[in-house]
Amino acid sequence: MHIPDGFIPPSLCIAGYALTGGVTWYCLRKINRTTNPTEQIPKASLLTAAFFVASLIHIPLPPSSLHLVLNGMMGTLLGYYAFPAILIGLFFQAVMFQHGGLSTLGVNAAMMGIPALLAYHLFQLRNRINHKKQLWTRILAALAGAVSLGLSALIFVVITITNISQDLNVQTEKNLILFSLVGYLIQALLEGIFTMMLVVFLDKVKPEILKG
Amino acid sequence: MTKRNWLILIVLLPILGNGKQVLAHGAQIGYSRTQALEIQATYDDGTPMSNAQVVIYAPNDPSRPWLTGTTNQAGKFAFVPDSEQSGNWDVKVRQAGHGKIITIPENAILASETETNNSQELASSNNAIYNPVQKIVMAAVGIWGFIGTALFFSRKKTQQQ
Repeated sequence: MHIPDGFIPPSLCIAGYALTGGVTWYCLRKINRTTNPTEQIPKASLLTAAFFVASLIHIPLPPSSLHLVLNGMMGTLLGYYAFPAILIGLFFQAVMFQHGGLSTLGVNAAMMGIPALLAYHLFQLRNRINHKKQLWTRILAALAGAVSLGLSALIFVVITITNISQDLNVQTEKNLILFSLVGYLIQALLEGIFTMMLVVFLDKVKPEILKG
Repeated sequence: MTKRNWLILIVLLPILGNGKQVLAHGAQIGYSRTQALEIQATYDDGTPMSNAQVVIYAPNDPSRPWLTGTTNQAGKFAFVPDSEQSGNWDVKVRQAGHGKIITIPENAILASETETNNSQELASSNNAIYNPVQKIVMAAVGIWGFIGTALFFSRKKTQQQ
């Protein structure tokens, strides 16, 4: 789902960096206002490692192949730490494996990071529910994982469709991008189930990790 | 030579001169020896990018497509660079929003023209080509960096306590 270098105009790359810069500042400000800002860093660092290698796990789904993103899982477990963690993970993915690019880092971080923050807020709704809390924890975890990935895929599709180079066969490319949405929908379901399983496990073993 | 013999010679001359031209209305297939440059596009898991769109940009006009086409089932596409144009050639491959743009350096083009093995040159023009072992090592190094960070902040926390 990473947008590579040279596929979107420079103005969009700059706008992506501006947006990512603003959201990173907001997240760091939120983190800094907690009682112990460094307390969650080990957890964030380990999950960044998971996010970093997730892009190497491929699911063959013609015409393209998908790879795990796990941004919903990051948002659910990390809260505001998720955005800088995703930004760092994407940076290393771009530098080491050429997944995405450095000019598109801002766009990719916003595309995957902002839905992660939404996933966090979606999952935190469980704290407002007293009735059947365990069931709602599962439902909201699955929703957070799936909706976050689905939203990122939707942003990816909109950006790529609106920026198809005229040098290409635009209609063919547009059809393929729209077709790839089916694959992303399947991936969203998989990541939703994975996030739910992880949350259920942590809820039993170490529930304090799930506290917002 | 008599007048009759001259007449026979004039009639037979085209037949004796070039036999192929006698067979009129036949199909002709020509061939010439060229040094084509072949690219192969794969996803990062090694799956070929089959039927992906390819756009080639020549050094003289990098903003306008010089050649367009699609890769075959193996993700391959071959083209013969214009030897009169010197400089780097840009190749864009795209499919379903994914793809890459690479620059083929002039020395790789020259190497292909002089019949040297250019596969290494092309491989080096694209940093994305790593074998699975290299990828595993790189991933392990990256993971260790993150684990190290986690351990560092855990240690700091323990000391404070």
